[in-house]
Amino acid sequence: MRIDTVFQRKEYVFLDGGMGTELQKRGLRPGQMPELAALTMPETLTAIHRDYVRAGAQILNANTFGANPKKLARTGYSLEQVVSASIACARQAAAETGALVALDIGPLGELLAPAGTLAFEDACTQFAQIIRAGAAAGADLVMLETMTDLYELKAAILAAKENCTLPVFTSMSFEARGRTFTGCTVESYAVTAAGLGADAVGINCSLGPAEILPFARRLCRSVPAGMPVFVKPNAGLPDPDGSYRLDAAGFVEQMKEYQSIGISMVGGCCGTTPEYIQRLHEEFSGKTPAQKVPLRHSTLCTPVRFVEVDGITVVGERINPTGKKRLQEALRQGDTAYPCGQAVSQAEAGAEVLDVNAGLPGIDEAAVLETLVRELQAVTDLPLQLDSSDAAALERALRIYNGKPIVNSVNGKQETLDAILPLCKKYGAAVVGLALDENGIPPTAEGRFAVAQRIVAATDAIGIPREDVYIDCLTLTASAQQEGAAETLKALSRCKQELGVRTVLGVSNISFGLPCRGYLNTTFLTMAMAAGLDLAIMNPNTPEMMAAVRAFRVLTAQDVQSADYVAAYANVQLQATQTVTAAAAVTQSGDALFEAVRRGLKAEARAAADAALQSREPLEVVNTSLIPALDAVGDGFEKGTVFLPQLLQSATAAQAAFEAVKAAIARTGQTSGGKGRIVIATVEGDVHDIGKNIVRVILENYGYDVLDLGRDVPPAKVVEAVRATGARLVGLSALMTTTVPAMQATIEALHAEGLPCKVMVGGAVLTPNYAKQIGADFYAKDAKASADIAKEVLG
Amino acid sequence: MNLPLPDTISHEETLRYLGASGWQPDGATRALLQKAEELLRASAQPRAVWRELPLEALPLAESGQDLARHLQGCDAMLLLAATLGSGVDSLLRRLELSDIALATAADAMAAVLLETVCDTLESQLRADYRQKDRWLTSRYAPGYGDCPLTLNEDLCLMLDTVRGCGLAVTPQHLLTPRKSTTAILGLADHPVTGARAGCAHCLLKETCIYRKRGMTCAD
Repeated sequence: MRIDTVFQRKEYVFLDGGMGTELQKRGLRPGQMPELAALTMPETLTAIHRDYVRAGAQILNANTFGANPKKLARTGYSLEQVVSASIACARQAAAETGALVALDIGPLGELLAPAGTLAFEDACTQFAQIIRAGAAAGADLVMLETMTDLYELKAAILAAKENCTLPVFTSMSFEARGRTFTGCTVESYAVTAAGLGADAVGINCSLGPAEILPFARRLCRSVPAGMPVFVKPNAGLPDPDGSYRLDAAGFVEQMKEYQSIGISMVGGCCGTTPEYIQRLHEEFSGKTPAQKVPLRHSTLCTPVRFVEVDGITVVGERINPTGKKRLQEALRQGDTAYPCGQAVSQAEAGAEVLDVNAGLPGIDEAAVLETLVRELQAVTDLPLQLDSSDAAALERALRIYNGKPIVNSVNGKQETLDAILPLCKKYGAAVVGLALDENGIPPTAEGRFAVAQRIVAATDAIGIPREDVYIDCLTLTASAQQEGAAETLKALSRCKQELGVRTVLGVSNISFGLPCRGYLNTTFLTMAMAAGLDLAIMNPNTPEMMAAVRAFRVLTAQDVQSADYVAAYANVQLQATQTVTAAAAVTQSGDALFEAVRRGLKAEARAAADAALQSREPLEVVNTSLIPALDAVGDGFEKGTVFLPQLLQSATAAQAAFEAVKAAIARTGQTSGGKGRIVIATVEGDVHDIGKNIVRVILENYGYDVLDLGRDVPPAKVVEAVRATGARLVGLSALMTTTVPAMQATIEALHAEGLPCKVMVGGAVLTPNYAKQIGADFYAKDAKASADIAKEVLG
Repeated sequence: MNLPLPDTISHEETLRYLGASGWQPDGATRALLQKAEELLRASAQPRAVWRELPLEALPLAESGQDLARHLQGCDAMLLLAATLGSGVDSLLRRLELSDIALATAADAMAAVLLETVCDTLESQLRADYRQKDRWLTSRYAPGYGDCPLTLNEDLCLMLDTVRGCGLAVTPQHLLTPRKSTTAILGLADHPVTGARAGCAHCLLKETCIYRKRGMTCAD
């Protein structure tokens, strides 16, 4: 068969069936590695392939599913040996009919960060090694299958595209709830794989034909019309003992349903045998695959969150340092906890996409944007808008982004289009086009529309579909150019109607230089929504703007039965009363902040801090209210009268108060560090970091400037951070015996560099003696102890 | 295989994990635990895989005396791996940024939930084996006593946990997602209980709060 047959979709193409289950049936013993069959039982393996060819299979998966560096490490065979021997067995059988041989690649057997410790680029490197070996051994195509992590699949697709010219087929496994183990939806899989340039997509394993059917239908609708879709189901659902009961006849009976949905390749997975493929062949051959009717939607996604931009969609603007002193300080210090906290709070407020911008003079934008994207996608499932005009920064961010993002932005300048559109195409991103060019912002709607036309011509030319193009007709400041608002909205309507693109605006620009900006922002937002705005870049923490969005959705019948509106506002009266009560508490009591923190009341603590900061200096508030309250709780904890949940609730309340303090300090333009810097990290290889996170909160509450490097942190990164910040205290955590050596290595690296810092360590398996043995200066038995140590070292 | 969420997740046990054993929680803490349970129920997807195998399937000779003692008199073993899934990890990462008290409560409660799910599964398996006149020991996990964590590698490979329940082992032999566990249960044709690892080889014996009180964690 020629590979073209797959892409013509005029007849069904037959794939093979189960391999692992067949090998077991034909003599593979428990404990024996199936990956080595080509070397340990080549005749048996070739015989299985031959049986599939004779049953009608036109694409054979070579027995390379688990042939990855990790699994083969202890076998004594090289990856290249295993891959070439496996492909040779399949090729020998395929020769009989001219069937194609696929380099079959499964998951690497390790979870990628943040779930595990495998770095995205390391996954790419491992896949690249397998793919080069497969291409060298003469595979006809690459089959990435049984994937459950979209991020791992992305690494594999990129590795395939960058290391060979073979067609790439991808396949994920879904649970009965329609998601993979890691929560990936069918649609997120479809648009991400298609965007990255997969040549065919499918679903395999985990479920039988009947259970996969609805997901296959969704997959067919979510990829472009010309893209072939395939399924390789199991022989039904497994019994608890792992055996499969659906026989070949029953399997094919269930498979008949697929003839109407648009798939064009069929095969089987676990539990299926050559007999299944033969019956499938009898049923499907001679028939023509149904046409697929894809839904052309504007979409953005992460694995677990699929956003259809259909009606007004809120893009949170808070992770952009322009005009935000607190964020600027955080980015300069390399503190990602603050922007991550902003992400969580914007998501809670109703943002559906988050803008991420790291453009700040004096920092390495490309490195910081990449770090931000990596850290943000660990804590939020909202899609990101990668906001930069620097092609290098965008490429790094696009590469590690998990899903389908939107790039903000290109404009009408040819050099920008040439630099950035190819990146959007390669990584499957949507793109924002600003209606300006070499000559600046055209004053009239006609001028901006003309620029938009040029941008769309360029996106058309490179193959970015119109539904992935968002034109920004640019919000001008009303105080400077009062007529501008009407021109912006006129251009917006025209772009939407005449170009078939989506539209986006940074709404808040409208009100610079005028008082009570919220009034103008909300009114302009409402006008823009009426004109057809799709993406509103705005602050979702502004209640009146979110109210305008929710009200608009009610009045345009998008919010069916006003359900979301009611959910958001049914209790608003109640909330207002509570705020008043909290405020009253502040004025009545002597030191409301002390009390609120001692009792662990978060909202009250924030309100009390805001009130206290009206009349007192930030540092005075810290030293006379916050710290005494924390000390009181800490003493109680040591004596056993206060329990950990109470201690932590007080810490959380103090944290809320501290945010108010930090904001007050940032407004004065000073940096917030009063008592000295501390670098903390969970050591390389360790993913258990809740203890370290508790320590961070407690130390920050005591007024220390904490740089939290996160978890799985290599020694060199700790050294670099200590050198850069001049921190005199370092806190390291490790939970397991297997990661304590990394702690020792980190301490040794700090000593080797001669850095004048003390090191405190903590974690379940550590003891005071053990701490001494590995060269630590202090053993912190809990978070309270870490604060005592900080006081001793830094004062 | 997917496992159902239990009807109740013990708040008392959660408090024990938080070092507040036997404490009557105040109103704020009760609310905290309630909130943690709601969030946890919405994000946990318990799954497990298990398989009966001959004792030779694992390198028991290199796995310490405690596990050997546990399997004494057994002629086969049941390997088990269970996870709450990656959704719980995401939840905890998010909470650790926004509310460390809630994060810590949810973290402890996730451990309780994982144990509860495993207890339920174990009792079902025990009943199934009793039908076949077979007896199971209690669960024993790599990392207990002198049994090395490295055994997780072999155990997860034997169970094909990556494909079966989305559980993988890191190069440092930790289980990911974080709220996951593995277990080895001995199988015999006569009643067996297995032997607890005891404190002798326990890594925590120097700092253990239970030992300071003259108890063990099993009490």
